[in-house]
Amino acid sequence: MKPNPNLDELLSSFMDDQLSPRQRTEVQRLAAHDPQVARRLRQLQNCRTLFNSLPAAKAPSDLLEQIKASLERHTLLQEQPTAGGRSFGAWQLAFRRFVSAAAVIALVGVLGMVVYQIVSPIPPGGVGSRVAQGPSSPAQLGPMTATPILVADAGFTGRLELRTAKLVQVDTFLGRTIENSGLSSRVESTVSGNQRVYRIAGTRASVNRLVASLSGLWQNFDSAALQVDRSEGSAAPVLVEAITPEQTASIVAQGSTKASLDTAANYAIMNHMAKNMPGNEIRPLIQTDSGSLFAAANLPQPRETGPDNTGNPKSEIRNPKSKEAQDKALVNLTIVLLNSR
Amino acid sequence: MRAASINIDDSVLVQQSQAGDTPSMERLILKYQHRIYNVILKMCGNTDDAAELTQETFVKVIESIEKFKGRSSFYTWLFRIAVNLTLNHCQRSARTATCSLDAEGTDPDGETSQLLRDVLSDDRVADPAVLAQSHELCALAKQALLELEEPQRAVVILRDIEGMDYAQIADVLNIELGTVRSRLSRARSHLREVLENMLK
Repeated sequence: MKPNPNLDELLSSFMDDQLSPRQRTEVQRLAAHDPQVARRLRQLQNCRTLFNSLPAAKAPSDLLEQIKASLERHTLLQEQPTAGGRSFGAWQLAFRRFVSAAAVIALVGVLGMVVYQIVSPIPPGGVGSRVAQGPSSPAQLGPMTATPILVADAGFTGRLELRTAKLVQVDTFLGRTIENSGLSSRVESTVSGNQRVYRIAGTRASVNRLVASLSGLWQNFDSAALQVDRSEGSAAPVLVEAITPEQTASIVAQGSTKASLDTAANYAIMNHMAKNMPGNEIRPLIQTDSGSLFAAANLPQPRETGPDNTGNPKSEIRNPKSKEAQDKALVNLTIVLLNSR
Repeated sequence: MRAASINIDDSVLVQQSQAGDTPSMERLILKYQHRIYNVILKMCGNTDDAAELTQETFVKVIESIEKFKGRSSFYTWLFRIAVNLTLNHCQRSARTATCSLDAEGTDPDGETSQLLRDVLSDDRVADPAVLAQSHELCALAKQALLELEEPQRAVVILRDIEGMDYAQIADVLNIELGTVRSRLSRARSHLREVLENMLK
């Protein structure tokens, strides 16, 4: 039988019980009287039976878990590219950049301060006003009126400010030490209230011995700072804060003003870093003789001066070839004792 | 009719799911997962694709359950999502025509040919139990389904395999009742021709 679309649609709807009672009766009448219609109806019914009897497939047993996993992935993916997420991420990035820039600026500022403190002119309050340690203020120091007696051609000119709560004892010890060093004739001293000033003009060797002999006294100082003047009168001096006796001796022992200034500048940087480092990690290294930053920085190590058993001076001047000339070079050192009470 | 008793607790489960009750949603998934998978597999003819599309269907249901207003039943809403996803997939993919089902062969052996002749015979009524036992005949039937165009395939699967009535099919496919009737009639006629060609 040749398929008739209209008849097939009628028979298909008849199979699915989608006809009105009247239409259904009409189809039944047609099939009863027309064998071709009956055969076509049977063909379509058998065909539907075939598809209706197809076994139902079952979903994978882990479908629910797969769905949960898929949902988690969806959630993660949706969290990342949302507009809010992007703007928050961009904000975070901008904040990080801002913090980084601020950190760089702060670092540059700190370095700038270090450089400035090294090369800047001494404030009116004098060296002591820059000493970090000790409770004093610049007002206590008063203006620095003392000037070196003598300016050496190739030597060292500086001012050592020492703050101590035991001014009388320290002053007594210093006076005796100066006397024992044979420098009495070369020293001018003034006493004014809370301040003792000793202006010393001597050979490098003698001044160096004096400084070395003060090392045992250093623990009584609340602060110690050394100002090294430049030979050019207008140039700013170098200030070394929190200076140690070894550093002072080392600076004094240099063979020329330039060498003293260079050494002082190195110590100034080192001491400043030590002061500003958290926990002062560097300071113990500075104050240690061996294995210290002295070695690392290849800076000159101070040595105690004075005659040895053979009568020869034990002090070591940096350039052995010009040792004699250097020993004789004049050094001006002004020692200022200040009462820190 | 398979779809007769499927809406019993759906509305309650849907309401609970909309309120964020995960176990209710899981019950809905467990209730419909095999039927959804079966329909999708018959439509796309590939088990991997069917599993993936089934998973995608339920993910979409979960994500959209709050927007479900109940204008249609959850059952037809669920199948609309599944069928639309599958139809889109079939249109995108060329694998439908060369899926795993046709790998089972289209040349029936003697026993299968006799069974198929019985199905196509106009003087006897086929026994569904006997038909279901022949895996090869079932494979031929599935292959014949894939010979149909997707709109016809969808309507005959929803009616003769899933057991939906015409109104539900119209709702799922978003077409008129008359369209369902005519499309189903043409699909059945076409299927018979495909099966007859398999015997030649």
